[in-house]
Amino acid sequence: MGRGWRPILAGGAVVVGTFVLAKATVFAPSTSSTSTLTGDTASGKKVFAENCSGCHGDGGQGGGVGPTLAGSGLDAATVSAVVEHGRGVMPPAIVAGQEQADVVAYVVSIATSSQ
Amino acid sequence: MLVADVAGRYTDLVTTVFSSTIAMKVWFATAAAALGLVQVTTAARIYGRLHFLPERGPAIARVHRWSGRIAFLCTLPVFFHCVTMLGFQTPDARVAIHSLLGTFFYGVFVAKVLVVRDHSLPGWALPTVGLTLASMLLLLWLTSSFWYFTTVGFDF
Repeated sequence: MGRGWRPILAGGAVVVGTFVLAKATVFAPSTSSTSTLTGDTASGKKVFAENCSGCHGDGGQGGGVGPTLAGSGLDAATVSAVVEHGRGVMPPAIVAGQEQADVVAYVVSIATSSQ
Repeated sequence: MLVADVAGRYTDLVTTVFSSTIAMKVWFATAAAALGLVQVTTAARIYGRLHFLPERGPAIARVHRWSGRIAFLCTLPVFFHCVTMLGFQTPDARVAIHSLLGTFFYGVFVAKVLVVRDHSLPGWALPTVGLTLASMLLLLWLTSSFWYFTTVGFDF
């Protein structure tokens, strides 16, 4: 086998390695890591303004590419699952850990307060 | 550090500078794409094209090398978040194309680095693999940062 194959073989190995790593998602936030955390609505409001309002509008009132959250009636489990795993154009894991718990608490508060 | 803590700590670290991890990726990818443009431009000059640029020589070669090194460094935080936290996903065409290109990107990068160092290869090999890499970087940017800028905004 000539030297000309070396870049192709090495590149192919890196592609396979990247794919395996991507499928493993070794640092993906897990549900168990955040389910025991208690969310703070006030902190969640700040996290939401910084990370979510661009798509869901100020206070989740809509106006961006994301759905209106205020008054939507979403529960904590649903919000947490969407934050962790994404949905449609929304990427997963925009926030994680305590910030995730906080923003979930805040979204649930606006989702249920206007009903 | 527990693996489960990494995502949270990474997010905390990134948000000390950027508004979100997505914003961080958008701007690092944009920097890498801009440097990729410098790469293509200087490579074209090295190959005797683009005569309006300064004369071929050590300066152009130095700019080419360092823009490539810095562009590579800019892609590393993006790689870490995309590959180790988000993974390979196909919820829609944009994300599927982005995932596919991202999977192949570092493979083509390694091939390009090896082609640069192997002087026994035919002359067309380096520009071919270089342009392939630059095209992939452009498409990765279009399916991520450009999408973000046009649908979400210029958040930092």
